[in-house]
Amino acid sequence: MKPIDVTRLKEIVGERNIKTDPSDLYVYGSDSSVHHAMPWAIVKPENTSQVQEIMRYANEEIIPVIARGGGSGMCGQTVPIQGGIMLDMKGMNKILEINLADVYCRVEPGVVDDDLNLALKKYGVFYPPTPASSRIATIGGEIANNASGVRSVKYGATRDAVLGMKVVLPNGDLVSLGAHTRVEASGYQLHKLIVGSEGTLGIVVEATLSFVPIPEFRCMGVANFDALKDAGEAIGSIMSSGSIPSMLELVDSVAIKAVNKTMDLGLKEVAAALIFEADGMVKEAVDYEIDKMKKICEKHNGQDIHASYDPKERAKIFMGRKKLFPALSKYDDNLASTSLADDMAVPYSKMAELAGKVHEIAARNNIVMTAYGHCGSGCMHTKILMDTKRKDQWDSAKKAITEVYEYVRSVNGTTSAEHGIGLSKAESFKIEKSDSLNLLAGIKKAFDPNNILNPGKLAQAPEDWVTATNLRYSVNS
Amino acid sequence: MENKIKEFKNLEKWQGTLANCIRCGYCFEHCPMFKHTGWESDAPRAKIITAFGLISGEVEPSESAADKMFSCFYCKRCEAACSSGVPLTEIFTDARKDLVEMGLEGPGTTSITKLNCARCLICVGACPHEARSYDGKNIATDPAKCQACGICLEVCPAGAAKIENDFGTGRDELIERASTFLNTHESSKAIIFACNWSYFPELQASVLPDSETRDNNYEILVNMCGGRLEPQLLMAPFLHNAWGIMAAVCPDDDCQHEGNQRAKKIVENLRNTFKSIDIDPERIQLVQIPAGDKTLFQAEIDTFVVKLNKMGPIR
Repeated sequence: MKPIDVTRLKEIVGERNIKTDPSDLYVYGSDSSVHHAMPWAIVKPENTSQVQEIMRYANEEIIPVIARGGGSGMCGQTVPIQGGIMLDMKGMNKILEINLADVYCRVEPGVVDDDLNLALKKYGVFYPPTPASSRIATIGGEIANNASGVRSVKYGATRDAVLGMKVVLPNGDLVSLGAHTRVEASGYQLHKLIVGSEGTLGIVVEATLSFVPIPEFRCMGVANFDALKDAGEAIGSIMSSGSIPSMLELVDSVAIKAVNKTMDLGLKEVAAALIFEADGMVKEAVDYEIDKMKKICEKHNGQDIHASYDPKERAKIFMGRKKLFPALSKYDDNLASTSLADDMAVPYSKMAELAGKVHEIAARNNIVMTAYGHCGSGCMHTKILMDTKRKDQWDSAKKAITEVYEYVRSVNGTTSAEHGIGLSKAESFKIEKSDSLNLLAGIKKAFDPNNILNPGKLAQAPEDWVTATNLRYSVNS
Repeated sequence: MENKIKEFKNLEKWQGTLANCIRCGYCFEHCPMFKHTGWESDAPRAKIITAFGLISGEVEPSESAADKMFSCFYCKRCEAACSSGVPLTEIFTDARKDLVEMGLEGPGTTSITKLNCARCLICVGACPHEARSYDGKNIATDPAKCQACGICLEVCPAGAAKIENDFGTGRDELIERASTFLNTHESSKAIIFACNWSYFPELQASVLPDSETRDNNYEILVNMCGGRLEPQLLMAPFLHNAWGIMAAVCPDDDCQHEGNQRAKKIVENLRNTFKSIDIDPERIQLVQIPAGDKTLFQAEIDTFVVKLNKMGPIR
């Protein structure tokens, strides 16, 4: 560990905005992933000039810096594998401007997604990329990850909603990237490059985001399937039919069982369920989309198909999906739900096969895996449920993950749809992008010659994710 | 690092459960301490991470680690919301028991007794968690039992019971926030005091531009438990020209500290006082809101503001 000049950091941000006690550092060394490592200090800047001063200091002394929002990353994006200063960006939490005439808002990176949408709601608009973690995820973290969510099938991911940003570079310089306009063809779209860069290129200190009108009508439906394959094929059919769902979600039997154990929703324990939604300003248009999707589900042996405009009924249909991620811990008392092989994307025509493959690979490796997600945007989520105390289960998990991503790559899929790479998906990422790794390294070098921003991630991540850091589980040897 | 699990006789049994916490962080939006300080190390997730660190030997039992475990108002919102079913406050309590055995007692949010204690023993009888006792000389608080409900603070005639680190829920800070709002917003009319169980504001950690807040009619202040409402707190907004105040507490069978019944009595007394001095008692309202029922709470606030608009300011 390199000595940190705590006095200098206190002069920059004030004593109340810095923590160095080991018990605080330990907490910040975790996120929602399986990884853990200790930062050397936590610093909470309140404004851009503080961020610049911190970066100048860190760059002079070659100290790693990791920017952190809500700490809800699933792959170890904010786990400080090489130590360093953790920048808790939640101190920069102002919504700066809501510009209805020009259809954008400007926010600081620590603004929480749900807070932004609460502020926009009274104007009849919303910021759509909203991931499931929107209640704590910050805009800066969502930008770092190119986050997306249930409505991305229609409205796109973070990259589609970001018009521009201000970024502090590793040397402390402040640059303005992108624009405040819907379209821009003024040279390299560097703001789009920062989106999804997982804090390795620059620190976002302000973002300009577009928003869209809240639709007047939303209708949500659900269809049950006795075969996972049928549900997967229905997804492909819906997306290739010209339908425009505003939501298209899959939950499998493992997920349904977990939800039923946690909540008293009484979901039918079938092989799979699809949740679909259409929205818009004209009810007849929404009716048309819903009817089309219902018919496609029927064609693929869907049962108990029903849909509703009623907000309470929609909330009930969606509640299971909303609480699914934490509910997986209740699937089996002896198994913990781990954030591993947590997401991927494949072409629609391969959705059904992928869902089946996940279950097949899990069974072969003696672990449990679930398949669910925003399948309308090609995104599949999985989780590995295993006895985390047993080393052989970790070996099985490692093998299963390699097999799952081998399949994903073989069908022209991609390693991550929306959760990012971090540490735990680096193995597949490096294979997938093997022909552009030099290019990525060059870009990283151009932005960050001293490699201080979130080092050891993405293409720099260690091969073996299991031993890359401490695991946040007790594993018997 | 050496596994220290055997040193934690109470925490030991939760080892498997600690793995069930998926560290999603969704508990942040329920925790008043995290909302007050903005530090993740004050959130429920931090305590689960710390508990794991203690039994794995990765965190040394220290005063600062103990302080985290002893800082909790036991509103149990995090536990109610946890879809992984982690019994957070039971884990916190067991961690406290072990830390007390090691000679580490916080203080965290444990209520302490200052030297001006009159030994009247009212707090001992009033404590719903049997955390306070008299040893013949002094009042002692069991830090493993204290749930920081603050009722001892409100019943102590000498003002000797204190929660030193109250994370913004103390009377003086709440009065200051109320007065700041009333004095800086021309359209301000009401202060709403809400208990942390019934009121669910989501995270609301972000700051809106002035243009979005300048016309606000009311401000909601979380004072943790209806049992901690006291006349001085409820009357203070009227000194700064509030048109009315509302207190939101748990429904009758929901309060873990029996605070809602105390709140009802205090509000009723104040309404009678207002009546006796010819001020409309309807300017003081108490509502009972089931856990996190935002729709009902907002409806009650909206109805109250309409009523206040008809009444106008107190002349």
